[in-house]
Amino acid sequence: MTAEARSRPADAPAQRTPALPGDAGMWVFVLGDMVIFGVYFIVFMVYRGHEQAVFLASQRHLSLASGAVNTLVLLAGSRFAALAVAAARAGDDRRASRLIGWCGICGVAFLLVKAREWYSLVSAGRTVTRNNFYMFYYAFTGVHLFHVLMGLVVLGVMLAELRRPAGRRTWLIEAGAIYWHMVDLLWIILFALLYLMR
Amino acid sequence: MSAQLVSLWMAAVFGVILLAAFLLFPGFFPPMPPDLTAEQVAAFYAQHQAMIWLSMITVNFCAIMLMPFFMVIVYQMKRMATPTQVLAYAYLSATVSGATLIALADLFWLVAAFRPDRDPQVTQLLNDLAWITFTVPVGMIIAQMATLALAIRLDDQPRPVFPRWVAAFNIAVAVAVAPSAFAAVFHTGPLAWNGAVSFWLRVCAYVLYVAVMFFVVRGAVRRQHQEEREQEERTPLTAAAGAEGVAP
Amino acid sequence: MTAASPAVPAVSAGRGGRRLLDLWACWWVFPPFYTLFGIIFVPLTRVMPPPSPAKPTAQIVLFFHAHALTIQIGFSVLMLAIGAGSVLNGLVAYQMRRMTVDPVFAYTYIATLAVGAIPGCLFCAFSFLAATFRPDRDPHLIALCYDLGLLTFVGSLGCFATQYLIFAIAIFLDRNKIFPTWLAYISIWQVVTELVAIPVFIFTGGPFAWNGAISFWEGTALFGVYIACLIMCVRKAIERQQPGERVPG
Repeated sequence: MTAEARSRPADAPAQRTPALPGDAGMWVFVLGDMVIFGVYFIVFMVYRGHEQAVFLASQRHLSLASGAVNTLVLLAGSRFAALAVAAARAGDDRRASRLIGWCGICGVAFLLVKAREWYSLVSAGRTVTRNNFYMFYYAFTGVHLFHVLMGLVVLGVMLAELRRPAGRRTWLIEAGAIYWHMVDLLWIILFALLYLMR
Repeated sequence: MSAQLVSLWMAAVFGVILLAAFLLFPGFFPPMPPDLTAEQVAAFYAQHQAMIWLSMITVNFCAIMLMPFFMVIVYQMKRMATPTQVLAYAYLSATVSGATLIALADLFWLVAAFRPDRDPQVTQLLNDLAWITFTVPVGMIIAQMATLALAIRLDDQPRPVFPRWVAAFNIAVAVAVAPSAFAAVFHTGPLAWNGAVSFWLRVCAYVLYVAVMFFVVRGAVRRQHQEEREQEERTPLTAAAGAEGVAP
Repeated sequence: MTAASPAVPAVSAGRGGRRLLDLWACWWVFPPFYTLFGIIFVPLTRVMPPPSPAKPTAQIVLFFHAHALTIQIGFSVLMLAIGAGSVLNGLVAYQMRRMTVDPVFAYTYIATLAVGAIPGCLFCAFSFLAATFRPDRDPHLIALCYDLGLLTFVGSLGCFATQYLIFAIAIFLDRNKIFPTWLAYISIWQVVTELVAIPVFIFTGGPFAWNGAISFWEGTALFGVYIACLIMCVRKAIERQQPGERVPG
């Protein structure tokens, strides 16, 4: 990268929040994302109210096992991310990197299980246009999947940060873990709404 | 031979070809009235298919060949002593959008001419879309001219890149083309897409604009090369710094 | 990068303490343009919120008959004003050039929005103007214009998703903090709104149609938030910029 005259000190996080871990921007993102998903859930509930029988009948075809496995996988990933933060704070970069790796494996596992689940639903003819329940199912799990993919990128950024020799920003590791907790929480709500709620 | 001079040459050559293509397009001289019936429109396309192909395929190929010329203007804008170079970026964006519109209008005409046995109503719709796309979105042209005019006005140096009158000229042409925005409202009259204002004034103003700007830009590029040569002669040891197009 | 090339000066002559007139001239385009945009697309042309994709052909024809005058006025004015979008495009791209990231993202920003203006905004105008131009056209062709206009307007996804994505990444990578980091996160939300607009090509009703609660309404509300934040952040960036600051050409 070309060196150009700049006046600001490099690498100072713009909005550190001493009381909260991570950086203010990530909290804005998390809270905003929850609001956005909240709107999705409200819309879902409204439509469900109109077509309860259809929704209940369609729900039975979802693989509860896949949903449960994915929930456990993400919970594990969240735990790894939290442990990674603790390790990073303690200065144990290698342990932190390993734990981030495990979190990534959980993320990939989630994607594989989800892909298999979609594949079996689609082969059974339960596509996105089948009825309103499936429409919501694919749309919401799709958007959540995008968040998981972004989460893998976030993990990569965290790993890169750990590799930096000096001036490492712990708040960045914390922010990444917060993001994973959010992804986890969103999935739990989705799981409850789509798979469990009767 | 610098990239800018190549761009000017391309503009000269392809500009003349484009002008010829426009003159040859059966729909332009005289311009097709909007109030033709669908059958008349279909008959027009069937009857003039060959000429439409010749002219519009030429436009398809040659219109965007003028892009480098407009990029020379962007580059000259960046040389101006304006407070910042934001106006050059705005000009770039407007030019890209404007060029896309010409490409799109051209395709509508060609698709309309593609199947003479199509339902005449469909051909008429394609014809309408072509004319609307060609005539109505003057905003991009206006943005180009407004940003250039402002940049010229703010060009604060003893020898400005473009002479001051070019700013006024740009504004005048922008005003001349502006009324064409309302061509999609009228079927007859001066504002209709074949009318005295939306077609004749607009087309003549724009052709004049390109011709005049060609010479203005050529002058600016020549002055730039002249200044670079003078600078090289003054400081012969800094060998590669000046000449445009020479790798440092 | 050549040093001190006389072709494009790194700092143009004659600045010193000169105010950033051109930047402010561009910034002041924001409020009138977006106000006008709102007036044009909401009450005049009725594109926002869009009429339903499930409308039968006869009702589509009635829609165009009823609103022909305001559609024509609205979109004709848009044709005059649309260049303002290019100005704002250039303004944001210029601020991105002040970042420490490579120029690539600034150029991409210009490119994506210069592209997006056509399928994502003007094509709707052309389609609706064509529909209202001949009220006695075959109803099926009028319905075609309806689909062409609304589907392109709501369904132009990639150009804007790309723009939002690289904008966010540029902000994250920028060590000069031209824009605050939270703006990057809002830009990421915009990518998500483009994602949830994907189903508009599939559904003619429900929350994921082109007029749906999620694909349209939530997306548009978020867009309003984004634009408001962008306008404020660009203003702050200009205010903090020193006249005569070295910005690579």
